[in-house]
Amino acid sequence: MSYKKLLQEFTPEELAEAFVFPMKLSPKQQRIADQQLSEALRLSREKMTRQERLAGSLMGLRFRMEDYFKSDKPNEDYSFGYFLKLYIQLLERKRREFAAEIGINETLLSQFINRHRMPPDYMPIRLELHSNNTLPAEHWLKIIEKDKEREMLCNKAMMIKKEKKFVTGAISVRL
Amino acid sequence: MVIVELATGQELTVAISPVENKDFRQITKKRYSFDWKMERGVADMFKLTIANRSDILGLVSVMDFPVELRLQIRLICASKENIGQGKQYAGIVGCLIAFVGNLALKRFSGLACISLLPKTELRVHYKREYGMVDGGPQLYLDGARLQALVNKYLP
Repeated sequence: MSYKKLLQEFTPEELAEAFVFPMKLSPKQQRIADQQLSEALRLSREKMTRQERLAGSLMGLRFRMEDYFKSDKPNEDYSFGYFLKLYIQLLERKRREFAAEIGINETLLSQFINRHRMPPDYMPIRLELHSNNTLPAEHWLKIIEKDKEREMLCNKAMMIKKEKKFVTGAISVRL
Repeated sequence: MVIVELATGQELTVAISPVENKDFRQITKKRYSFDWKMERGVADMFKLTIANRSDILGLVSVMDFPVELRLQIRLICASKENIGQGKQYAGIVGCLIAFVGNLALKRFSGLACISLLPKTELRVHYKREYGMVDGGPQLYLDGARLQALVNKYLP
């Protein structure tokens, strides 16, 4: 149905609550529209405060963490260390400075970032406190769970071999 | 993200996910107003459904302008029964716009922007309802305004 016909049937407000319509501009109109939007964006970004920009960056990071821990399978590219590194980069902090702010030393922080050590229970809590609850402990915890799942899946065959000797009296039922 | 069933006032959780090829069997011009097949290969398309249901209640197509840290909404529509006073659910378009905001924040971080090119008669409504601002013929959202919209629909 055409836009004009819809306007006869519905109010503009009702249409805006249901649609964004296709629009065609001539090449010249498009060029001018692009320039005007670009200029408006430039001015808006100039006025944007550091706090405002950081809030947006933290929201983006939180959504990425949520997408990851809601996904079906662990992904080799993502980890607690990956998201922690992004958080520190968004804050524009040096690692030493950040480590001091959460009460650990820089070496330990690097071990978490580089996946050389699993983070202890206090880390999600400290990160929640440091991020003023913008990145809740539960989010960090779910990422750590994902890391553990990935590690276990990678090493499962070897772990079964190693642990088998400790298990006796296995039940005979199979599902 | 939730939409409201107007007959009962009940809030229903929705899911927004990429449109798949098999969805085009369901996406007819009669129910979804536009020829959505034309968007294939031009823009990314997403569908809104009530969680764990397959019936599509709304669609959006989005173009990426990475150099400008911007996503442009090309098309949105609610399904036919969700247009006008007799509609079943409220909040479909708001959820879809907030979803695009969520995508933009994930891709472009703090300087993310979303925009759309409105019909003249609808311009004022997008500004009032979603906090959009003028950027020439286009309307856009960035910074605190974008964050507020995303927070409103994705608490």
